[in-house]
Amino acid sequence: MWNEIITYWQQEGTIMTPMVSYLLENIWVTLYMTVVSTVMAYILGLPMGIAMVVTASGGLRPNKVIYRILDFLANIVRSVPFLILLILALPLTRIIVGKAYGPTSVIVPLVLAAAPFIARMVESSLLEVDKGVIEAAQSMGASLWTIIWKVMLAEARTSLIVGATIVLGTVLGYSAMAGIVGGGGLGDIAIQYGYYRGENSVAWMCVILLVVLVQGMQYIGIRISKKTDKRIR
Amino acid sequence: MEPIIQIQNVTKTFLGKDNQVEALKGISLNIEKGDIYGIIGMSGAGKSTLVRCLNFLEKPTTGTVLIEKKDLSAMTEKELRHTRTEIAMIFQHFNLLMQRSVLDNVCFPMEIVGVKKADARKRAMELLEIVGLSEKAKSYPAQLSGGQKQRVAIARALANNPKILLCDEATSALDPTTTKSILQLLQQINRDYGITIVIITHEMSVVQEICSHVAIIDNGELAEHGTVEEVFTSPKTPAAKKLVFMINPQMAEMRSKRCIRIVFVENSSFEPVIANMILECKAPVNILLADTKDINGIAHGQMILQLPEDESTAAKMIHYLRERKLTVEEVDSYVE
Repeated sequence: MWNEIITYWQQEGTIMTPMVSYLLENIWVTLYMTVVSTVMAYILGLPMGIAMVVTASGGLRPNKVIYRILDFLANIVRSVPFLILLILALPLTRIIVGKAYGPTSVIVPLVLAAAPFIARMVESSLLEVDKGVIEAAQSMGASLWTIIWKVMLAEARTSLIVGATIVLGTVLGYSAMAGIVGGGGLGDIAIQYGYYRGENSVAWMCVILLVVLVQGMQYIGIRISKKTDKRIR
Repeated sequence: MEPIIQIQNVTKTFLGKDNQVEALKGISLNIEKGDIYGIIGMSGAGKSTLVRCLNFLEKPTTGTVLIEKKDLSAMTEKELRHTRTEIAMIFQHFNLLMQRSVLDNVCFPMEIVGVKKADARKRAMELLEIVGLSEKAKSYPAQLSGGQKQRVAIARALANNPKILLCDEATSALDPTTTKSILQLLQQINRDYGITIVIITHEMSVVQEICSHVAIIDNGELAEHGTVEEVFTSPKTPAAKKLVFMINPQMAEMRSKRCIRIVFVENSSFEPVIANMILECKAPVNILLADTKDINGIAHGQMILQLPEDESTAAKMIHYLRERKLTVEEVDSYVE
């Protein structure tokens, strides 16, 4: 890997080749797709996860019908491979974004894929909250919203942040497939130059940058979750 | 006195996959204002379910619960939530919010009813003062001991000036010394603020220590109830006897001879009754069980003695004890 990259740089005679600066620019494209998709997916997935916990049997407002529908939705979308979802979502992308290529158009399938995944992560984080604490809040006369907001989400804070870190990593991985629809970003370049043109050095540089991104996000996420956790001291 | 809690023929049935569990089988009980009412029973007797019926954390299958003459089952969701702010509860495992500081935990019930933040903080500090934890205001629950956590829970329970305090096995996770200090705190709260306290426990010693009345729950039914003195001095039902005598299977081989149970309620703790009796009768006795304590100079508790085989000496001893105004009864038949 390093040999190929070093040989490439020796041939070009400089480290800052046009390809390298192109790659660095595309870090932002990848981050844009990842972060915007994740935020939008949370807007859908967070309420969905909360609703699953609340309507589950033994939840605060058990409702078999709603729970079954949400549970089914969460499973069905997750069982479709992202590559297939990306293509199936093209007509929807055209309606929402107006075109079916470019980084912004990849956000639509990314949100569709990430939201059910987020719902599951949120569900499992909220289920970890001590039932006794919820019971205590009920005994104080807390409303459903107060319990969700101030007890469940607040107590699950650490676990939710760890979950968000995992989601970011997964969405970043998905975004690499955006190349199929001309989405751009590091993954796209790795496929276009590395795979189709056989320029291994470029593929490796993309991989290195992606690894650094994932490691960085993981590090920051874990740091934040530890800092906000008041249980360990 | 006015009953503040009226439990009328309450039943609770839990539906399992292929069976039904009758946790409560028609319980009726009145709890009066200002009482410290103990509800005692073995684990699985249904006492925790019963206490949850008092604030409708569990809705009874049939029967009614009246709080200050108001029927909980007739209330709307909003009215029920309002009533719950007047019925505080503390738990075996404290159930504090682990991500909030001690001060913010005490503020939580006030947030629910919409007290202004500054006022809530001021009140919370006063409450922490009462439970003796004001220097821990900025700590987090994970940094506290069990007894301290329960004190925070008590401060939190008092935040909205409740009329009733429900204690669900509140001392069961604590060591004896801490239990004692928590019970003293509860007693102080009952005295100072006139809050009616309902204590769920499986330990007779807790009931003896602070309760005025006691109800014994056995297998989902109300076995016996009355003042602690009545129930403790002359338990009638097998369930009550079991709890009061704290029968220990290891006593079995010593039971063959004549045993008596003595109950202390009004004797001076400075009078060495048993020792004097032995000197008087000039015969030894075997103390099988002794559980007495000194409460303000009066001896409280019970003893089980094995008397000498000689009939006349035994009769003389019983006579001696009865003369000292002690309740004496033969216990052979009670022992399983």
